Amino acid sequence: MGQLSMQSRAADGGPGKPLQAETDRPLDPLTLSTIWHSLQRICREMRRVIERTAQSYLISQLKDISVGIWDGDGNTVAIPVGLPIQFVGAKYSVRYIMKEYGDDIYSGDVFLANDPYRGYSCHPPDWGYFRPIFQGSRPVFWTLARAHVEDTGAAFPGAYFSDPYDVHSEGLLIPGVKVIERGREQRDIMRLIFNNVRLAEGVRNDSYAMIAATQLAENRLLDLIGKYGIETVQRCVEIMQARTEQAVRACISAMPDGVYRGESSTDDDGVELDVPVTVRCDVTVNGEQLTIDFSRSDAQRKGFVNCSYPSTYSCSVASAILFLDPALAEYHNEGTMRPIEVIAPEGLVVNAKYPAPMGGAPVSMGGNIQEAVMMAMSQALPTRAAAGWGRRYGQYIYGIDPRTGGLYVFPGYHAEGGSGAVWGYDGYQGSASLGTLGEIARPNTEDYEIRFPWKVISREFRKDSSGAGRWRGGPGFHWEVVNLGGDAGMHTGAGQGETTFAHGCLGGRPTMPNVCHIVHGNGEKVLAKVHRLHKVVRGDHVVKDTSGGGGVGPPEERDPMAVLEDVTINELVTIETARDVYRVVIDRATLQIDWERTNALREAAGPAESR
Amino acid sequence: MVSIAIDVGGTFTDCLVLDGRGHLGQFKSPTTPDDPSRGFMNSLEKAARHAAKDPRDFIGEVDVIIHGTTLATNALLTERGAKLGMLTTEGFRDELEIRRGFKNIRTSMYNLAVPPYKPLVRRYLRLPVRERTLYSGAIETPVELSSVSAALDKFEAEGVQAIAVCFLHSYANPENERKAAQMCRDRFGDRVYIATSHDILPVSGEYERFSTTVVSAYIGPIVSDYLLALEDRLTEMGFTGNLLMVRSDALVQSAAHSRRQAVTLINSGPAAAPTAAHFFGRLLGHEDLISIDMGGTSLDASLIRHGEIPTTTESWVGDERVAIKIIETHSIGAGGGSLAWIDSLGLLRVGPQSAGSAPGPACYGRGGEKPTVTDADVLLGYVPADYFLAGEIKLDAERARRAILTIAEPLKMTESEAAQAIFRIVNSLMADQVIEMSTKRGYDVRDFALIVGGGAGGVHGAYIADLLGIPRVIIPKYAALYSAFGMFAMDMGREYSQSCLVRADKLDPERLEDLYGELAEKATADLKESHVDESEPVSTRTAQIRYVGQFHDIEVALPGTLRSPEDIRQVVETFHARHKELYKFDLPARAIEFRTCSLRATLARKLDLKLMPLAQGQIDPGAAWKRMRRCLFGGDWIDTPCYDGQRLLAGNVIPGPAIIEEEATTIVVPDGFDCAVDTSGSYLLTRR
Repeated sequence: MGQLSMQSRAADGGPGKPLQAETDRPLDPLTLSTIWHSLQRICREMRRVIERTAQSYLISQLKDISVGIWDGDGNTVAIPVGLPIQFVGAKYSVRYIMKEYGDDIYSGDVFLANDPYRGYSCHPPDWGYFRPIFQGSRPVFWTLARAHVEDTGAAFPGAYFSDPYDVHSEGLLIPGVKVIERGREQRDIMRLIFNNVRLAEGVRNDSYAMIAATQLAENRLLDLIGKYGIETVQRCVEIMQARTEQAVRACISAMPDGVYRGESSTDDDGVELDVPVTVRCDVTVNGEQLTIDFSRSDAQRKGFVNCSYPSTYSCSVASAILFLDPALAEYHNEGTMRPIEVIAPEGLVVNAKYPAPMGGAPVSMGGNIQEAVMMAMSQALPTRAAAGWGRRYGQYIYGIDPRTGGLYVFPGYHAEGGSGAVWGYDGYQGSASLGTLGEIARPNTEDYEIRFPWKVISREFRKDSSGAGRWRGGPGFHWEVVNLGGDAGMHTGAGQGETTFAHGCLGGRPTMPNVCHIVHGNGEKVLAKVHRLHKVVRGDHVVKDTSGGGGVGPPEERDPMAVLEDVTINELVTIETARDVYRVVIDRATLQIDWERTNALREAAGPAESR
Repeated sequence: MVSIAIDVGGTFTDCLVLDGRGHLGQFKSPTTPDDPSRGFMNSLEKAARHAAKDPRDFIGEVDVIIHGTTLATNALLTERGAKLGMLTTEGFRDELEIRRGFKNIRTSMYNLAVPPYKPLVRRYLRLPVRERTLYSGAIETPVELSSVSAALDKFEAEGVQAIAVCFLHSYANPENERKAAQMCRDRFGDRVYIATSHDILPVSGEYERFSTTVVSAYIGPIVSDYLLALEDRLTEMGFTGNLLMVRSDALVQSAAHSRRQAVTLINSGPAAAPTAAHFFGRLLGHEDLISIDMGGTSLDASLIRHGEIPTTTESWVGDERVAIKIIETHSIGAGGGSLAWIDSLGLLRVGPQSAGSAPGPACYGRGGEKPTVTDADVLLGYVPADYFLAGEIKLDAERARRAILTIAEPLKMTESEAAQAIFRIVNSLMADQVIEMSTKRGYDVRDFALIVGGGAGGVHGAYIADLLGIPRVIIPKYAALYSAFGMFAMDMGREYSQSCLVRADKLDPERLEDLYGELAEKATADLKESHVDESEPVSTRTAQIRYVGQFHDIEVALPGTLRSPEDIRQVVETFHARHKELYKFDLPARAIEFRTCSLRATLARKLDLKLMPLAQGQIDPGAAWKRMRRCLFGGDWIDTPCYDGQRLLAGNVIPGPAIIEEEATTIVVPDGFDCAVDTSGSYLLTRR
């Protein structure tokens, strides 16, 4: 794995490979546009099939799903919807299967991989089904449907238990194996797999949903090939990859050359408690080339916060993309990735060696890798600056539902705060978790009361919870639920941000602490820290107060009218914070700005910090 | 027995009159945006004049008026709705603004530069009520009256015009919502419009239900005031028939019902166009159609595949989630009234700003001085200045020329070059939108027939088709009143639903039969209330079914009656098969459950939509020749033959370049196209 960054360079034809001009075989614009959009559309349709048919709450309702299309050489064709760490760099998974199986790949085959080391899933609960799509005797495309399944046969139900012995304690590891051969399900293998997970019938349902999505992709792609011919379709892919590469190179060359630094820490690794773990990146802009180097990051850890190289690659590329021309956003592909190099030496937390556990990778360090790259890129392009988001603060509660007598696993994106601010706009207020770039949906309260033996007391914005700034972050939440079932366990591994914070930009404030308490029936209030296992009995309340996103620009430069609106209309900022942080004095009786005192206060604060 | 369809668009109000003998009369009047009911009445008076009748006598004979309007959609999109208050379960007042975290609605996940969402009810007017219903329908906490009173005090002080009452689990038991709504009514009477979530969308999932309800309350006062004013005017004129409104799902319903559920008028006008397309498509043997309706202000496009008009419950209208069933259409700001302008880079642009109906294009001579697409159409000779709406509106070509000069000069062009540039730009703008609509769904536009309606559609249709590479264009008879025509083809009725959570293996067919019986009674009563005494309603039954554990249902049609377990087994089999068909897999061993029972009750309407066939003529259209006019084609002024649409016969073939002058529209047959006249009176343009 240590050589993977070198290997990837070779496989991509090298990051410095000159752009091939569109040759003398032009494609008429309508055909080009139709084929290209069809490929994006197929991905959306795939996700829809999974959403519509899955029975896992996390998959169907919250869309913990990624889908995509790669070409016959394992180059990225279409990745419009998904969670970055699950699929942006899934070309490594495709290439792994191609290498392992060589000539033993046939039309109608489907492969399943969830092993972080063999098949490169970011963590074991994310099961990916891969299907080669044949034209004649060779695979011309690959497609992937990957989702976070309800259970993966680990030491505890659910996911994100923070204290595993090694990666094997994190679940059954499936190294990219053929589960369907030439259209025929390999019953023995499937029986073995489903015998090793809890909630097996549900996981089977959701597996079929994913397999069906890959089948749909095959049908659609074969239709497309049947209609336009394989040469035209491949030509279209080449042209769009080349055009994207050209456009991305132009974006990068418009950035000022230099080295920009970013870093981000998570609270601890789950084993060695309360000791933060840090990733550090040096982003070098050199002409048309972007290099993201994580060599200064912490060494790999005993706990579950380690990432594989493909995970680090996925998160880095996804973050860098945010700073390119938004007009390209819909269509990223291999062309985007060619000018971007990601360096992550083996043995670090960003490229850990077997058998380091990786169960926490999507949240910590995946989210942190994204934050570190955003922090560096925001310095390279201040007018595109983007602050960190309210940090992921999820949990998995598992127990027996007294209504059915069956096991339940209660995941969720309930309470983490909204997006960080960007230059020009306050943070988006509802979206959950940078790690998903807003693709994840939050649950409806009604749906989870139907599904789980918990009642929700409250879910509302929390006052003064945004990172302040000229543009402030989206607010954090206050969330409270009560256990109506029996004794249950709660992992807090899918969270961070109690003692470490995401960045603000250009004088904007960072995120604030997340806090979670368990309140027992007798009123006793116990802190429930992240990366631990907790017990919750019937009648216990779980209460979370979370941080919103970080700010951009100094808060004392915020338009006083916007501050007033936050106090009186949005009811998100207190009069005290308006005065102390934003330096805007609001009269308590009239709820109007006291301009004289505001001006005096702002002048006393002196000129804004240099940018 | 006279039936009328009226479509109020952004620029024109279209009125189509079907008399007892099956004759259709078409009338257009300018829309009156300050009070659209005036334009509505004007169009009726015009129809009366044409029938040489006193308006009162004329309207007295009308037994049904079907009405579609863009009022609701426009109020939402232009943020002209009511000042809103929201009563909601304590602890949950932000559900609306959190909106389940949806950020990437029309933007990619890789784009962060998106302004934050601005909800229709700002936070300080979303007020908590102490109350709680559980998912089972049990009321854990009855409504605390004092918390409602306190909220209403604040609403009163703030001058709120409408209130949305949105409580958790109200679909399972609406009692708490009803009580709170009653308190609102007791306090405010008719001064404040009230919408409750259990009434608007009685299904679980609070975000979707609340958002739809808030939209309904937001547009409620405007819609309600308009319909009341309209009913008053109609009654004053002696109308004793039924006023029916076009719903979002292309059924029609009583105006009283629309007032209560304003959100069902979202997309009300455009929803009718696909029905018209579908009608003509069937007539002419086309199942795959792209329908475009080009009016004065906007272009509404929709895509029909395999003869199915697409509906969705997953709409976003502007930035709001509207979860009722809606016909899918795609709208852009490009029409005859679209303004041409020069941007900061010195480039010529067209739209989305429109001259609307007031002042209208410069050539209308009503004070408009800015150049529009219609001005270009006049200058190019396509639209006859002396025969616009059969000469009813005299167009002033000189004013059109002067308006176009204002952009021609800075661009250093002649007026005719500038007019041609405007014409080309608006065509490619519309073509791009159609491509986007179609290819984003993964369809190749060239596989479809283009069916073109709207007042300006006939002028631009062939050019748009050419840009799209579509070889065949259909311009239906009554193209100018395209949506209004679609309204005649719609069914009257509604869909009724009742939740019935039960596993298939525990289902008692008799209980289910009773449930459908109750729904049918409700439907019959409602239809009676609408005073429609045509035939007995026709009802179709469906059930929403899923595998136990899934989150989404599949709609399965049920037989007319369910008697035995064998009937249920049949339904189960159908479900498995449908699941496999839709999603490529089924799970025969897994239990399935019924979720919701639905009954769609419609009245078979007696309107006879068989268009009277045109008399058969020769290929040569010479008999309908009207005059020669100079028109600009491909950069040259050409003496172009113009034909009188009223005198063309079936079988006539008109080679382009040519112009067909209809009373309500103009059809341009470009060079390289042939236009055949069909027995239905529709024009079929094909590339030679």
